[in-house]
Amino acid sequence: MVGSPVLFIAVPLLAAFLIPLLGMIWKESIRILPGLVLLYMLVLAVTLLGQVMHTGTIVEIIAGWKPPWGINLVFSPFTGVLATLMIGMGFIIWIYSYRFKNVDFEEAKKYFILFMMLVTGSVGIVLTGDIFNQFVFIEITSISAYALTAFYKHRDSAEASFKYLMIGSLSSMFLLLAIILIYSQLGTLNMADIASKAHLMKPEFKILAVIFFIVGLGIEAEIFPLNGWAPDAYAQAPGPVGAAFAGIVVKAGVYALIRIIFTLFDVSGTHQFLIVIGLTTLIISEMAAIRQERLKRMLAYSSLGQMGLVLVAFGIGTEEGIFAALFLLINHAIGKSLLFLSGSYLVYNSADKYINETNGMGKFLPITSFLFALGALAVVGMPPFSGFWGKFFMMSAAAHANMLLVIALILSVSLIELVYYFRVVNRIYFYKKESHIEPKKPTVNAVIAMVTLGVIILVIGFYPDVISGYLHQASQALLDKGKYIQDVLSTGQLLTH
Amino acid sequence: MNFTLFDLKIIEYSFFITAILVIMIGLYGALVKKSLIKVVIGLSVFDSGINLLLISVGYITSGTAPIFSPALVKDMPLTLENIKKLSAGMVDPVPQALVLTAIVIGFGVTAVALSLVIRLYRHHQTLNIDEIKNLKW
Repeated sequence: MVGSPVLFIAVPLLAAFLIPLLGMIWKESIRILPGLVLLYMLVLAVTLLGQVMHTGTIVEIIAGWKPPWGINLVFSPFTGVLATLMIGMGFIIWIYSYRFKNVDFEEAKKYFILFMMLVTGSVGIVLTGDIFNQFVFIEITSISAYALTAFYKHRDSAEASFKYLMIGSLSSMFLLLAIILIYSQLGTLNMADIASKAHLMKPEFKILAVIFFIVGLGIEAEIFPLNGWAPDAYAQAPGPVGAAFAGIVVKAGVYALIRIIFTLFDVSGTHQFLIVIGLTTLIISEMAAIRQERLKRMLAYSSLGQMGLVLVAFGIGTEEGIFAALFLLINHAIGKSLLFLSGSYLVYNSADKYINETNGMGKFLPITSFLFALGALAVVGMPPFSGFWGKFFMMSAAAHANMLLVIALILSVSLIELVYYFRVVNRIYFYKKESHIEPKKPTVNAVIAMVTLGVIILVIGFYPDVISGYLHQASQALLDKGKYIQDVLSTGQLLTH
Repeated sequence: MNFTLFDLKIIEYSFFITAILVIMIGLYGALVKKSLIKVVIGLSVFDSGINLLLISVGYITSGTAPIFSPALVKDMPLTLENIKKLSAGMVDPVPQALVLTAIVIGFGVTAVALSLVIRLYRHHQTLNIDEIKNLKW
């Protein structure tokens, strides 16, 4: 074995706190260290993922306490795919932001520490098998996300961050309430143990716990009534942080929500709830996106809409639906991150980030504009790109489940998406540059990061089979609840010394 | 001290009732107050209420600390039955461990919130939440 899942949490956490110490010795090290750590994690994740696909789930026990009592990490095909995606996105965002705040050492130091904490927390949310541990990781992620949102002092970032903090901390208290409720009823905090005992819980308590969980986790998963913070936070945070929110943090939130609904409890009606809430999120966010005048707010609303789409796909509940949801999730991570990364160069020097300030940028920033258009095509779901397959698989899953209304709604919403993305692309290529805003040339590392994302979009678009094998196993792993319980609880018995 | 069963019930429930009252006060402060500082205080009170609730879940009236000390064990052999008998009068240690973690997290969140309030005050020269609305659309 090359390494164990605990390294995904221990190594970046250690690196985050080593950054200030190493920065005293050699200033360049604060930029290099996160990249080395993320590269190591990526290699480890890909190796472990390949291994897990053949030999089955890896369950790691922390500190020698057996699963029903101690904390355990679960690296199953499902969690493995998500963790690999997050670490990969983290690595690409690191490449992009390698020269971030090049002149200001102190600011760069803070950025890299918080970024490592964000990755640690998100990967922890996905890998942990203990519900309270997951709460702790959610808090690690949110606190670093609050701080990263408030990164720029001259913007209205403190306001956005305070809004995020208010809603985030109130909701995390509800999460804690749900945990109390479960603990007082079942006397356990282990997810597999809860799943195997869930039928012992009184139904009214169970429903209350599920509601508290949905409120608590809906903030990170950006479902409709709870996502008011998101457009402000995305728009006020630095460009790479917006990409990290879309590519890493939201994925962790959706995972937590899906784990609660699919594995922990079998309350009837939650799947329909996912579909309804997903469609509401989708429609309202896309309607809001079309009337935005600022580029990043538009991207943020579009991001919310995409997450709604993912939730609908999960809500279909069949294996095909989950496969499509995972495909959409990956496409969203890659495509929307590319849009955020290239979009923040398109409006780099403008104060208000209005869409009409991107007029005619195609001539001045050819690579960035081309990649922005590519990202837009991928997110909208045009045929040769990765997004097409996601939407295509989802339509077929919905058709097999006889949900024709869902298909109709999704198609019409895709049309709205097409309109507002191509409004921007049209301005970039076919309008004359009017404003006096100097276009900012992207740095070499930013170009490398964006081109990598563009290549991934094309590769997945032309050969969806490169990932579909993994995704099929992942969706089976999510649906097979009995195997999850057995995997986790039996390891405990095996390792009794 | 001699408690009747009724007294014991009142003591047990009073923790829950107090916890929920504290939660309500905190929620009121966080949602209704206009001053940013009061909002943060409300958040913090809400946090304490949750912690109190969490602690009272594991509480047993006139229970002891969950420590197997030599004086407690005396000469009993530590079989499963004896352990069960001894631990019946102990409070549950897990909620206490959880509360310790939750307090630290609450501290972190409050610290971040207060630093944001300072930043907001410098930016807007006011603490009134109604006057800070640059991001409304």
